[in-house]
Amino acid sequence: MADLLDEIGLGGERVAMVNLSSAMGPQFAEVVAEMMEKVQELGANPLANEC
Amino acid sequence: MIVAEQKPLAEIRQLLGDAQKVLIVGCGTCVTVCFAGGEKEVSVLASALRMMSKLDGQPMEVDECTVQRQCEWEYIDPLRDQLEEYDAIVSLACGIGVQAMNERFPAEITLPGLNTTFLGLPEEQGVWEERCQACGNCILGITAGICPIARCSKQLLNGPCGGSQNGECEIDPDVPCAWQLIWERVVELGRLDELIEIQPPKDWSTSRDGGPRKIVREDLRLAEEGK
Repeated sequence: MADLLDEIGLGGERVAMVNLSSAMGPQFAEVVAEMMEKVQELGANPLANEC
Repeated sequence: MIVAEQKPLAEIRQLLGDAQKVLIVGCGTCVTVCFAGGEKEVSVLASALRMMSKLDGQPMEVDECTVQRQCEWEYIDPLRDQLEEYDAIVSLACGIGVQAMNERFPAEITLPGLNTTFLGLPEEQGVWEERCQACGNCILGITAGICPIARCSKQLLNGPCGGSQNGECEIDPDVPCAWQLIWERVVELGRLDELIEIQPPKDWSTSRDGGPRKIVREDLRLAEEGK
């Protein structure tokens, strides 16, 4: 999916898949925070209001 | 089955040129099974083209449909009335489907969205391997059911060659030597004596060397009216 987003021109880094078990709460929060930071750096999805 | 894979998105976009209204037509047979051109892949490609064209500043209207078999007139004929409204059609069928569309609907241009790769099978989930080259003169009966035409890099009829090392083909250690496989199988079946006989050169006239091929079955043809 990341490759496809790259091909489209939206940026493959906007999507990530992480395997975590239900017992890994702190790690989940950490991954979400990292993703939030990355997405904020990338800026708004240019197609957010069009699709 | 016919195995295919999708062309790069950029190539499909380039083939479409200035088209503003596009129809993507999938096929519900071989390319659905190999995850290249079924309903799901049509949907993904349509979404990708919509997004890509919007980012390019030339938004495209992309519609989707999938027919059961794109290589037979009766399955594509129902599309006839809706094709006029499109600037271009992208077929996610094999090369046969693409040509069937162009032949049946000559006023519209149908572009290929896939690269048709080979006749093969899924060796495991997500891995397809070639098994047949449709040479028109099957020799599986004398090669223990393993095809050296499709699976031996040199298409040898009397193998293996000197490039066979530890069961691997010299072209790539990931390619098993077809003749090693044949040898092991005949030994297992106790039919080694059948393999000792030297096979004469193959008659390639039934393959592509004889030009485009055609089969006519008179017993199956429909009588023309008035005859």
